[in-house]
Parts: sequence; C-alpha cells; structure tokens
Amino acid sequence: MSFIQRTPIADGVYFNSVRDSRFKTMKLSVHLFVPLSAETASENALIAGVLSRSCKAYPDFTALSRKLSALYGADLNVSSAKIGENQVISISASGLDDRYAIDGESIAKELSVLLCGVIFEPNLSGRAFVAGEVEQERRQLLDLIDSEYNEKRIYANARLIEIMCADEVFGIKRYGTAEAIRAATPESLYTAWEKLLKDAVAEIIYIGDSSPEKAVEVFTEAFQSIPRTPVTLRTEVIREAGEVKRVTEEIEVSQSKLVMGFRAGIALPETETRAAGLMCAILGGTATSKLFCNVREKQSLCYYCAARYDKDKGIIVIDSGVEGENIEKLEAGILKEIDDMKNGVISDFEIDSAKMAIINAYQGSNDTVGGIESWFARQLLQDGFRTIEEESALLSAVTREEIIAAANKLTLDTVYVLKNK
Amino acid sequence: MNITEIKSARAGDSYFKIKHSSGLVVYVYPKEGYRSAYAIIGTKFGSINNCFSLDDGEKISVPDGIAHYLEHKLFESEEGDAFTRYAETGASANAYTSFEKTCYLFSCTDRFEESMEILLDFVGDPYFTPQTVAKEQGIIGQEIKMYDDSPDWRVMFNLLENMYHHHPVKIDIAGTVETIAEITAEKLYQCYNTFYNLNNMALCVAGNVTVEQVLAICDKMLKPCEAHEIHNYFEEEPYEIVSPYVEQSFPVLMPMFNLGFKEKAEPLGDKKLAQTDILLSMLASPTSKLYRDLMDANLINNTFSYELFEGPGYCSVIFGGESRAPRQAAEMIKQYIAKAKAEGLSRDDFEIARKAVYGDVVSSLNSVSSIANTILSYHFSDNKLFDYIEAITGTSFEDVSERLSEMLDVTNCTLSVVKSPDAEV
Repeated sequence: MSFIQRTPIADGVYFNSVRDSRFKTMKLSVHLFVPLSAETASENALIAGVLSRSCKAYPDFTALSRKLSALYGADLNVSSAKIGENQVISISASGLDDRYAIDGESIAKELSVLLCGVIFEPNLSGRAFVAGEVEQERRQLLDLIDSEYNEKRIYANARLIEIMCADEVFGIKRYGTAEAIRAATPESLYTAWEKLLKDAVAEIIYIGDSSPEKAVEVFTEAFQSIPRTPVTLRTEVIREAGEVKRVTEEIEVSQSKLVMGFRAGIALPETETRAAGLMCAILGGTATSKLFCNVREKQSLCYYCAARYDKDKGIIVIDSGVEGENIEKLEAGILKEIDDMKNGVISDFEIDSAKMAIINAYQGSNDTVGGIESWFARQLLQDGFRTIEEESALLSAVTREEIIAAANKLTLDTVYVLKNK
Repeated sequence: MNITEIKSARAGDSYFKIKHSSGLVVYVYPKEGYRSAYAIIGTKFGSINNCFSLDDGEKISVPDGIAHYLEHKLFESEEGDAFTRYAETGASANAYTSFEKTCYLFSCTDRFEESMEILLDFVGDPYFTPQTVAKEQGIIGQEIKMYDDSPDWRVMFNLLENMYHHHPVKIDIAGTVETIAEITAEKLYQCYNTFYNLNNMALCVAGNVTVEQVLAICDKMLKPCEAHEIHNYFEEEPYEIVSPYVEQSFPVLMPMFNLGFKEKAEPLGDKKLAQTDILLSMLASPTSKLYRDLMDANLINNTFSYELFEGPGYCSVIFGGESRAPRQAAEMIKQYIAKAKAEGLSRDDFEIARKAVYGDVVSSLNSVSSIANTILSYHFSDNKLFDYIEAITGTSFEDVSERLSEMLDVTNCTLSVVKSPDAEV
C-alpha cells in the first residue's frame, strides 16, 4: 500500500506525507486533537467554522470562495468530530493535482499557503474575530443542532448516546451545547483559538503527487512561532453496564426506532478490539450478518438493523426502524442473535465472510485519497502505523474462541425507543 | 464484436466501449495502479416505466414501485441469495432503483472474475414465487415508512407532485404500502421479460481490470439475446406547473424547502449539459452574489444546494436546503434570476465557474465507483463522459448567456416547504 512518511515539525506537531501519482487530486489536512469538554467543545467547533469563512488574505466569504473556485474548484472543509473522549477539529484543502491545471499554475503550493493562512492568520479585528463572521457561524451551528431532529435515525442514535453516557465526557456532543454556542463572543473565540493552536496535538496529512515541500515549510514556520504546550489525550472506558436504562419517547412519525447501546468491554489500544470488531461485523455489519439474515430477511421485521463498534470508546450500538407494534419482538430477536454469538453458534462461513468483507474494505480504501487519509488518520492516536497488509494479517489470525470471548463481554446498557404516537 | 477505445488527453485516461455479441453494451475503464474494481450493470427500467408494451403487444400497466420491488427480489434464486454468494468472494455488493434505471453493483479487491460471474448470473436468472414475493412486503413496507419520515424525501416528492401533472416522475420510487400489495410473481416476470433484455442494458467496469478479462466472462455467461422494441407510454405533460406552492407539516425543527423550475424536457447533449452546469455554478454556488446575499439575510444555511434534475420526459432545476424563511429565500432566488436574465451575466463569474466545474469532473475520475456510475448514467442519457469534459473547456460566455435565456422561467416554478405545524414560514 501507499507509504507514509512521518516527521515531527514542532512540539506535538507531525507532518505525515503520502506521495501517490495515481490520483488527479491532492489533499492537505490539519487535525487538531484536544480533550473533549463541555467548556470548550462549542467554541472549538465555532472556531473551525469561522476560520473557513475568511482569512486575512481573503477577508470575506465570497472572496475566499472565488479564490478556491478559480483554483479549479478546490475545496476547503472543516469538521468537528469526536474520537473517544477527544475532540478533533479538522481543516482541509483539496484540489486538482498540478498536472491538470489548464493554465499551468501550482495548485498544491497555492493551497498550502492558503490553508496555513486560514488557520494562523484569520480575519481579525484586534484581539477578536470579526463579529459578523461569528454571527454567521453561530447560526450555522444552531441550525445544525435543530436539523439533527429532522432525521429521526440520526436523532434516535444521538439520544441513545446522550442517555447512555449522561455521566461521561462522551455524552458531550461534538459541537457542545446550544447554550455555549450562544454564549461565545468574538473575544472569547480569539482566546480559545490561541489556546487551541498552543495546546492541540496537531497532525498534518498530505496526500498527492506534487512535492509537499511548501506545506512542510509554511506549517513548520507557523507552529514553531507559537509557544506549544501539547495536551495529553485519554478516554475513559466503562467495561460493564449496570442496570439497563430504558427510555421511550413519542412523536408523530410513521416508523418507530429502536436503538440499543452495549458496553463492549474492549477498547483501544487493546489487541482484542480486532476480535470485537469482527464479532460486531458477524452480528450486524454486513449483508450476510446475523441481524440482516435473521431479523430482516427471515422475520421480515425491518429494512435496516445494523451494529456498529466504536473501538475508541468501547461501545456497540444496534439500531433499527420498525413498526410500533413489533418493537418488543424486534428487541427479543436482536438479543437472541447476541445470545447465539455468546454461545458460539457461529459458522465458519460467517467468520470467513466477515473477515473477507473487512479486508476487502481495507484494500479498497487504498484506492481513494479519502480512504488513505482515514486509514492513517484513525491510527494517529495509536502507537505507530500499520499497513493494510499487516492489519489484514492480524485480522485473519483472529480465532473463533476470541470472537466468542469478545461476544461474552457485551453487556446491555441502554435501550432507547422513539415511538410513533 | 466492435471494440472502440475512447481517449482523453486532458484527463490522461482512456476507456473502451464494446458492443458484445449478446446485445449488451460493455464499458471497461482500466485504472493503472488500482487494487480495486467496481462493476455495475443496469437496465433502462426505473420507477417511471409503469406503462409499456413490447413489440406489437398490448399496453401493460403495472403497480407503482414494481421496478424497485423487482430489484429486491432479483437477489434471490432457488439456491439462496446473491449476498451469500458474494460473501464467498469478499466483494461488497448493492443495488438501487432510480427514476429511469435499476442497477446492480459490486466492488472487490480480489477474485474479480468470480464476483463478475455472480453478478451476471443472478441478474440473468429471475426466481419469483408467491412466498418469496410476500416475504418482501414487510421489508419494503418498512423502507417506505422510513422515507415517509424523511423531510428531504418528502419535500422533493411534494415538489414533483406540484410540478408534474401526469409524468410518473412524481410517484415515489418505492411506491406505497398499498401499491406494492398488488405486486405478484407474474407481474414481476412480465417486467423482467420486457426490460431485462441485454439489448436494453449496459455494463460498466472500472479499476483493476482489462478488456480481455471482462469480455471473457461476458462470453462465458451471456447468451445472445434477441432485440425487442419496448414502448414506454407517458401521457403528454403540459409545460406549466400544477401549483406554485405546497407545504407539509412534519415533526422537524429546521424547515426545509425545494424551489423547482420546470424546464422543457428534451435530451441535453454534452454541450448543453456543460453550459447548464457552468450557468448554475455562476448563479448559485458559494462564489455567487445570490448565495452571499441569501446567507447575509439569514435565508439559507450551508445545506443550500442546487441540481439539474432530468431524465426521459422531465427536466427541472431544483434549489433547496434548510431555511427558517423559505418563502423569502425563494423570492430572492427568483429576483436574482430575473435580474440576470434582464441585465446579463458577468464574465468574471463565468471564468471562475468554468474552472470549478472542470475541476469537479476531473476530480471525480479518481474514484472507480463514480467513473462507472457516471458512464452508465451517460450511456442511458446518450451523453459521453470525455465529450462532456471537452465541452466544459470549449464553452463560451455567449453559450452560457444563450442557455440562460431559454431556461429558468420564473413564472413556471413551484415552492415546496416542510415545516413543523406551529412554524410560520
């Protein structure tokens, strides 16, 4: 697979470079990792949005958008995500590789300078961000919170995490709360921005054919010019659930949602996460999984019934959409499949096909820029990188006993039902 | 067998088009250095094909949602389902039904030949019984209900219902719980035998493959198929919309809107398609004055988007997204379009938009799935991928201005809104 070169360029700042000539585009992303906290999550999410709207060189949204479009429709993207109990603010630029520029310009160099400017030289008014820009981003984020309720599958999953992890840092949303978003000011954001650049563990990833030289140069200079005090990142893992929490809410919908949250008892950096991931795929991760074949196909109860493993936090979530009168039947059906897993009712076919499906996805990820980025990005907080071949070999070696052992660590924590009135 | 190589010096790629002796049109787009391959086969049978005849036979009407139902059922055969067979090769498989086509696809990184055989085998081998058909009612019933709760989906179909008087594009792709109850094994066979004729289908494979590999499997799996004439019947659709406004109450906190401009339905060649894409980018992308002013007036947020929505017998331009004031947003969009028509477009905007549209399509050639999906869609709409890329670079400011004069009639548009019962919009 593609080879990654990792170089420290400042205290707690790494430049990761993958040279690959197969793609027509390049991508440069900066990931800033900080501990998730109720006090800072909203301000950090707001900062990401404000930074991407304008900067000192292009001090207005339209000017910046026009610059990007003139660079052959280059993209500037920001996101705020949660990895375990850490918040990661990502700001990335992607565009055509220099070979495809009609007028012969170096898109990679221009985007490197632009991205660095967006992060380190924002559009400021003294020691504050520009008020109008902050207001726009505040509105975007408040709208985003409201829109989560629009899509009931997303909403039901979010409610499950809120209820299940109410007393944990993980219960905080990736953009904090509406109250904190409303309370932020242009001045408080300036302070939060300085702190973010000083404290975050920073990982820069470059993927492209052209040389990353310019990007290394500008980011080294920028990060070395500020006093750095990188934070320590951690995630609390609850191994076993207590008494099952049950919450049912009613609204006017056609289809009810059932979401079940489990403690997996296994989380990174433990090597058993591989067995747990495989167990989750056999249970509900593929079109030949137990949930798909038995609950959907045989019992004809639902259209989707899927299991997902969050190995950073050590939880498994199963969600499904169902007729209101069938909720109990569905829950019983799901629990029966889990009991089967625990009791070792797993065929060789189920194990082998889940392994093949996961390895196929690993290998396929090397054929896209985004796939390569996420392959390495999700290992950034681990101890060194593994290639697809190494990871595939480790997965292939997982035994039936290890899968059964992983299943036996599952404990049901919370059941959330969104019911049609 | 006729093999044509199609090259693009600008994109640095080439692909092959083959008319296979079975009647199937096959496209192969090799990608050097890639490990994965993506294959998709499609038939020109979608949700809009609900009334048809074969050769000189009688006119047949089928229940709404039958193309999608057939897609679900084709995965099953007497020996088991196709997912189980793919599980043995490690390929990741899926299928989808849209307005004008039904497609079956897989992606894999190993054992391509075996997966390809599975694809051609199950798509060529229908197996419908009253029992297997009945079983699907519950699953698809839940799929329909899931979409009934989706504001994105509802706001679009409410729009289509209020733009189109007769055209079946206004009917939900999956049908309704009532219409799918009318579907029988016999009706499924009737549709299958009409539309799943290799002469009405196309296959596209992109990635780690060669023409020889793909043709060897086609030779092995496909038998020559006699071509038939399929007639699709669409009632004559007036130019005018049905109604200018529709709203639905929904449990949402963020109201949503779609503003649709009904256009003359005609096949767009590559040039007109390029002109339209550049024009829409000039008018409504984040670089435009319209986008900026909508944002500054708090009428849209960053979910705002636009699309050219077209297919056999229908064409429209749809602007949409979340908005707390959809009526005002729609008014502003209409005003800006009217102004652009009266006062003309900006050359600066044109240069920027042309580069952006060019960059987007060249970037899409990174991905084997987007390559194969695009070539297949273009096959059915009579477009050509590389001609489209050339058309973008060849488009002039005057072409785009001319295009604007013939579309986006502000007196022929519909606004669709989904909002909570107590929200004022």
